[in-house]
Amino acid sequence: MVDRTPDVGGKPIKEVVVEVNETFSDRDTSYSADSKWARMVDHFKREWQLYAMLAPTIIWFVVFLYKPMYGLQIAFKDYSIFRGVAGSPWVGFEHFEVLFANDQFLRAVSNTIKISALNLLFGFPAPIILALMFNEILHASYKKTAQTIVYLPHFISSVIIAGIVITAFAPTGGIVNIILGWFGIDSIYFLTRPEWFRPIFVGTGIWQEAGFGSIVFLAAIAGVNPSLYESAVVDGANRWQMMWKITIPSILPTILIMLIIRIGNIMEVSFELVILLYQPATYETADVVNTWIYRQGLQSGQYDLAAAAGLFNAVVAFVLVMTANSLSRRYSRTSLW
Amino acid sequence: MAGVNLTGIVKRYGALQVVHGIDLDVAEKEFVVLVGPSGCGKSTTLRMIAGLEEITQGDLEIDGRRMNRVAPKDRDVAMVFQNYALYPHLNVADNMAFGLRIRRMPRDQIATTIAETAEILGLTEYLERRPADLSGGQRQRVAMGRAIVRHPKVFLFDEPLSNLDAKLRTQMRAEIKRLHNRLGVTSVYVTHDQVEAMTLADRIVVMNDGRIEQVGTPMELFNNPANTFVAGFLGSPPMNQMKGQLTETGAQIGEAEIKLAGAINGLAGRDVVIGIRPEHVTLRPGEQTTALPIALDLVEPLGSEALLHGRFGEDEVVFKADTHGDIAHLQGVTAVHVPASLVKIFDADTGRALQLEQ
Repeated sequence: MVDRTPDVGGKPIKEVVVEVNETFSDRDTSYSADSKWARMVDHFKREWQLYAMLAPTIIWFVVFLYKPMYGLQIAFKDYSIFRGVAGSPWVGFEHFEVLFANDQFLRAVSNTIKISALNLLFGFPAPIILALMFNEILHASYKKTAQTIVYLPHFISSVIIAGIVITAFAPTGGIVNIILGWFGIDSIYFLTRPEWFRPIFVGTGIWQEAGFGSIVFLAAIAGVNPSLYESAVVDGANRWQMMWKITIPSILPTILIMLIIRIGNIMEVSFELVILLYQPATYETADVVNTWIYRQGLQSGQYDLAAAAGLFNAVVAFVLVMTANSLSRRYSRTSLW
Repeated sequence: MAGVNLTGIVKRYGALQVVHGIDLDVAEKEFVVLVGPSGCGKSTTLRMIAGLEEITQGDLEIDGRRMNRVAPKDRDVAMVFQNYALYPHLNVADNMAFGLRIRRMPRDQIATTIAETAEILGLTEYLERRPADLSGGQRQRVAMGRAIVRHPKVFLFDEPLSNLDAKLRTQMRAEIKRLHNRLGVTSVYVTHDQVEAMTLADRIVVMNDGRIEQVGTPMELFNNPANTFVAGFLGSPPMNQMKGQLTETGAQIGEAEIKLAGAINGLAGRDVVIGIRPEHVTLRPGEQTTALPIALDLVEPLGSEALLHGRFGEDEVVFKADTHGDIAHLQGVTAVHVPASLVKIFDADTGRALQLEQ
């Protein structure tokens, strides 16, 4: 490079600039140290309402998610409620060894993965399909009515949902068996048959949550620029083509984010509904890690073993969500963080 | 190529009528600009031509064929939208190919068309980029490219430059004009910017409140506005409009009597609006000019010209004057001189232009 350093009154400009920078940087250090604190105080004074609104969530996280982490150590201890968490002796990975030698636990892991896979396969696309269908309804009042009807099951308690399912699938008087009877099919006691548990469970989950889950996708669809559709109409696209070529690609980031969250919850199969619908006859296909933890931890009092199983669940979920997030970031530029 | 004919076009949303019977014939290869203030019905009219809005009443013909009930895709029109309407998940090439793929054009033909159009628009090196990675001007070019590749009979532009900054807008305006000269496709262009209208149009359609106020070439509209609305809408700054009265020898505005170029012929005593374009006055008296005393309160330099803001009686007036490199000599202006031939007279009640007999 050519050195273009003209003189200013016999002193090269470069030097002058350096001096000015030094002066500024000295002043900046003291200034920024003072003002950083002052700015923070000002910021809190100005925005305290926002922090007040945030506080309950932070408290909830601390009390229910961070504080219990202290108790996680019992997964590595021979825990006794009389000696307490701190007083119980360390046993290393003994509980994990017991867990992985336990057929029932391994069966629960397998069931959890299978049910989650079915949920992901059928339950995840259901609200997306529903949202796309709602989007195609042009009649406003018909659309609102349809939406209200499909949102409703979400607001019904799982106990009532389970009651409805049990009644519907009852061997005598159940609507499903009555309909089967019309076609000359013998009555089936669905809820005692292991092969029927998973379809019923996944189907119930879809019925209960697909409508409510569609709200987030409907919101994403509402955010699609309307002129994209108008442009496509002028270009000659029909509604089917617009759905595939505009709507779905436009809401893909939302779909991916929801998928990552869903993958993070893959080991959290709806515990309440399983507890309410399963019975020893269907443990073979219905018993999941959470119900196994419930039975071992609360009913049999093996808190340390249950904590180890819970920790295993959490680690698997953590690894899955990290993997899904990084894959999504790499291939679609969309990620949770 | 094709002409576009609108006959008695009406648009109603329930009880609200927004377009009140528009009649307009756009000739083949013509570039017509619909201009008017927000809410005047210009975009609605364009959307009715595109088929995006249903026509409540009247007839729309493109290339001699009635199009009222024809689907947008079958009208053979291409539209460029205000916000570009580019598909964010597709790259430039795919955006441009969208309409062609929908129409099942063979792949090699699509590739050739895209390459040719990209060349015309200077987009060849951006074909793999997504809209988010392009500047505003480049996005606008892609939007035009998407319309061009279809080789439609009619181009429809809905305020395509309004999202661009002033410099880019001037640049793109010239590009659109060059493109039209090159392709010669019938074009209907909507804008609220009168400069765009003046520079682009073969003919301008000035709209107001769902009606056409005047149709004509830019200079026709500038020189002979049909009414006070058109006079006030075209021109920057707009035409000065002062209330006055016709006399036997001219027009009286307050204390001043202005000479007129035509004969009054029995119109003396009529209340009128006297229109004087800011650029039509001089600072020195000439033949057939009248001195209009003004109370100058502000001089705004624009470079070679300056705007003289002042008052004439109760009316605020703005005139243009050459600076000759300095505005000092303009600070002491006390009067401007109005050439009789360039004064416009409008009826005070109807706002319509009055033609004086020459």
